[in-house]
Amino acid sequence: MKKILLVDDDHGIQLLYQEEFTDEGYAVESAFNGDEALQMFTAESPDLVILDIQMPGLNGIEVLRQMKMINSAIPIILNSAYHEYKQDLGAWASDDYVVKSSDLTELKNAVRRFLD
Amino acid sequence: MPELRKDPVLGRWIIISKERQKRPTDFFVEETKVLGGFCPLCAGNESSTPPEVLAYRSNSEAPANDPSWKVRVVPNKYPALIIEGELGKEGDGLYDRMNGIGAHEVIIESPGHEDLLWKLPVEHVSLVFRAFRDRLIDLEKDSRFRYVMIFKNYGKAAGASLEHSHSQLIALPVLPRMIVSELSGAQSYYRYKDRCIFCDIIRQEIQQEVRIVCQNDQFITIAPFAPRTPFEMWILPKEHASGFCSIDDRKLLSLAHLVSESLRRLDHCIPNVPYNFVLHTQPLRSGEIESFHWHFEIVPKLTSIAGFEWGSGFYINPLPPEEAAQYLRESLDN
Repeated sequence: MKKILLVDDDHGIQLLYQEEFTDEGYAVESAFNGDEALQMFTAESPDLVILDIQMPGLNGIEVLRQMKMINSAIPIILNSAYHEYKQDLGAWASDDYVVKSSDLTELKNAVRRFLD
Repeated sequence: MPELRKDPVLGRWIIISKERQKRPTDFFVEETKVLGGFCPLCAGNESSTPPEVLAYRSNSEAPANDPSWKVRVVPNKYPALIIEGELGKEGDGLYDRMNGIGAHEVIIESPGHEDLLWKLPVEHVSLVFRAFRDRLIDLEKDSRFRYVMIFKNYGKAAGASLEHSHSQLIALPVLPRMIVSELSGAQSYYRYKDRCIFCDIIRQEIQQEVRIVCQNDQFITIAPFAPRTPFEMWILPKEHASGFCSIDDRKLLSLAHLVSESLRRLDHCIPNVPYNFVLHTQPLRSGEIESFHWHFEIVPKLTSIAGFEWGSGFYINPLPPEEAAQYLRESLDN
């Protein structure tokens, strides 16, 4: 079973994504901040990361830079409520950028593109 | 007493607040830290960027997107405007709108992560300017675009999100307001005096010798008479030319020398100062314009823009350009 590391400080998002992506047939591990995410990224070797940007402590772009340094082959999808971070060239290290929406179709398609 | 000064091209007023007058060491600049980690612009990470639209390599036989590049231009991975589609101009009563069509590209100035533009060999800097010119020439062929804005943000306070040295280019389907104002101001002067206002500025600055920062045979750097910020500099060709796309390779090298020197002087005055560097050139397909003169403007980010500046369009500058030019001239002597 393919493993997704979900990094988001919002418990509501965590619950929703857990349910939706488990139903899709993936194993979902949760991290609630950047430091925790980096530890799990190294320890768990996920197949894909869904990464929020605006989080307390390390923000998602900083986490992205560190994760890609550790293993650039693991696809990382930035998933923010804001379009604005697209103007941050640090976001280029990501493999995709999906703006958060109540409709998860785009995010699910992006995940499938990398994992299926 | 403070002094009001009028920009002769734009008619914009600025306030030189001599009571608040400052020396270079009085300006606070946030310390820059190299963040490290993975950088999508570094050589070797070409797969993190969209395929290049231009690159210069020593070996011209090397395949596209090979890591042997010196300067590389790629479309923005997450562009503000998109290249495909029609303009779809329409009116909604008195309001106009169109599709967000444009080209948004990043000029990666060096393969090395920590390289600074002004520290690179001048031959390399001239390649960066060659990339500006060659992209302008190419984008001019696209009839949907009317202007190409080329700019560099250095430092976080100036809007740079990544420390790897780069510039950006945005091709627009409309003329930016600043360029319209500059063209119009220059045209008004030309109608009255039958001379290019920028050529007259250069003549007067050479004659007065108080606001010149540095110069060579073909280019001059001045602190403009009415600068928005301390240490603002304009770099202009001494010979009249309205479009950057007509610059030849020999002049590119001469320009690279002067830009490097100007930025080095700025860094010696205020180490690591954040700045914006913007090319002002003629609109695409306009042909040579007798009243307009291409130039670069370097605007250090040393003062904040607050309610007064937004509301009035006035800028308050605590350092007269005559003194800024003197500091900049003397900066490499110390």
